[in-house]
Amino acid sequence: MALFASGAIIGLSIAGYGLFTAKGTRSRAVPPEAVAMVNQRQILRSDFMTQTQTQFSAPFAQTSMAQRKQTIEAMIDEELMMQRGLEIDLPSYDPDVRNALVAGVELEVTADVLAQQPTPEQLRAYYEQHQDQYSSEGVMQLRDLVATSKDSATRAAEELRHGRPLETVIKQYGLTDSGRFMDAGHVDTGDIFQFAVRAKLDDALYQATAPLKTGEVSAPVTRSDGAHLIVMIQHRFPVRQTFEQASDRVWSDFKKDAQAKVRAANLAYLRSRADIIIAPEYAR
Amino acid sequence: MLGMPGHKRVLRSILLMLLLAALTVTFARWLGFRQRADQLLRQDPDRILTDSRLMQFAAQVAQPRYRQHCARCHGGAFQGDPALGVPNIARDGWLYGNAPVDVEHTILYGVRSGHPMSRNVTDMPALVRDGQITSADAWDVVEYLQSLAGRSHDPEAALRGRSIYYGKGNCFDCHASDARGVADYGTPALTGPVYLYGGDRQTLYQSILNGRHGQCPAWVNVLSPLQIRALALYLVSAPRAHATD
Repeated sequence: MALFASGAIIGLSIAGYGLFTAKGTRSRAVPPEAVAMVNQRQILRSDFMTQTQTQFSAPFAQTSMAQRKQTIEAMIDEELMMQRGLEIDLPSYDPDVRNALVAGVELEVTADVLAQQPTPEQLRAYYEQHQDQYSSEGVMQLRDLVATSKDSATRAAEELRHGRPLETVIKQYGLTDSGRFMDAGHVDTGDIFQFAVRAKLDDALYQATAPLKTGEVSAPVTRSDGAHLIVMIQHRFPVRQTFEQASDRVWSDFKKDAQAKVRAANLAYLRSRADIIIAPEYAR
Repeated sequence: MLGMPGHKRVLRSILLMLLLAALTVTFARWLGFRQRADQLLRQDPDRILTDSRLMQFAAQVAQPRYRQHCARCHGGAFQGDPALGVPNIARDGWLYGNAPVDVEHTILYGVRSGHPMSRNVTDMPALVRDGQITSADAWDVVEYLQSLAGRSHDPEAALRGRSIYYGKGNCFDCHASDARGVADYGTPALTGPVYLYGGDRQTLYQSILNGRHGQCPAWVNVLSPLQIRALALYLVSAPRAHATD
C-alpha cells in the first residue's frame, strides 16, 4: 500500500513539474537566464548586460542600478515594438523585415555547421580538391583583334610571331579591335584581371587566351564577326598558395560550402512539404 | 500482505525505506543543482568570480562542455592554435575583453560566425594583395614589429616600417598607437612575445599580405544559458590559474 502511495506521489510530482515548466506555460516568474519577460518572451540577461555596457560605455560591474533599469526599460520597449510588428504582419510587406527573417532562418539552419570544427585532414582534402581557389588572380594585357578571313588572320599571326611590330601588322592586314576590352571609349591595353577576361570572352576564345605567355599570339579563332587573334602583350599568371598560406581561407571556405549544402537541403525539405502552385505560363 | 511471513515484510519495508532515501537524496541533489544554477545565472558574473562555491559549480558544468566543444581549437591547456589564429587565453586573455560579460557574449554569438550579433566589427585586411602597401613595405613593417618585441632587427627597415604603421598602412587605427591591440575590435597585441598567428617574420608577412579572418562559432543554439554562463566564468578564471601554475 505504502509502495503504491509513494509511486502516486512521485508520479504526481513529475506531472506537476512538467505541467508548470513546459514551454508555452504562462508564468509570472522570470527564469534565471532572463532579466524580464514581455508577453512571455524572454529578454536574456547576457544580451541585457552587453547592451548596458554598450549604452553606458562602462564595464557592466561598474554600471549603477538606475542605468541597468534604464536599459531594461529600453529593451522592453524594443521587444514590444517587435511583437507589434508581428501582430501587424510586418514581414508580409516590408522588404527589410523579410530580408532579416530570411537571414535569421538561414542562420538557425546553419548553426550546427558553424559549430562543428573540421579536422586538419578534412581541411587538407578540401584544399586539394579546390586548389584553383587558392591562387592570386592572374593579370593580362592583351589585344583581341579581328581579321576578315582566317587566311588573313593566320598570316598576320605569323608576322607577329616573327617580331613585326603590332601596329604595322594591324595596318597591313586591316585588323580591327573586337571592342570587347574597352576603357572609357578606348581600347583597354592596361592590366585586366583574368576573371574579367574570362567574363568578356566566350569559351573558345578564352581557351585560346588563357595559356598564352607574354609576347605570344593565338591561332585564329573563327567567330561570327570574323577570325580572332589574341595578342598577349603581358601575362602574369596566377600564383598558387600553399596549404599553410591559405589555411585560414580554406577553413572559412570549407565552412561556407558546408553551410551552402545545409541551406540547399533545408530549402529542398521546405519545398517538399510546401503547397506551391505556379501560374501555368511559368509552370512548364 | 497480512498473510506475508514476518521476514518478508521486514525486507519489503527496508527496500521501501531505501527507495525513499534514494529518492530523497536525488531530489535534494537536484534541488541543490537548481539553486546553484539559479544563482549562477541571476548574480552579476563579476561577483561570482569571488564566490568559490559557485565558481566550483561553474567549473563542474563547464569542463565537460569545454572538452567537448572548445578544446579542439583552444587546446586542453588553453594554449590556442596559431595555425587557426586561436588566441592563447592562458597567457594573453581574450581578444574581445576579459570580463565575464564580454567572454559570455563571445561564446554566445561567436566571432565572425555569421550570427548577426557576432563579433564582427573588422577584419585584418590583405594590405599587400589589396594594394594598400607594397610587399617591400610589408617587410619593413615586419622589421618594425620585431623591434617592438625587442628582437634583432634591421633598424633602417624598422624605421620605415614605423612610418608605414602610422601612415599608409593605417595599422595603428586597429592595433592601437602602442600596438597593444584594441578589445573593441578584437585586434591582438603586436608587441610579442606571443602572437595570434605566430611571430616569426614569414608568418607576420603572410598576415599583412593575405589578411586574416579568424572565426569562432556561435553557441547560442547549441549550449544552454547555464552552460554558456558557466563556460564564461570558467574561461575567465581557469586559464589565468593555469598560467600561474
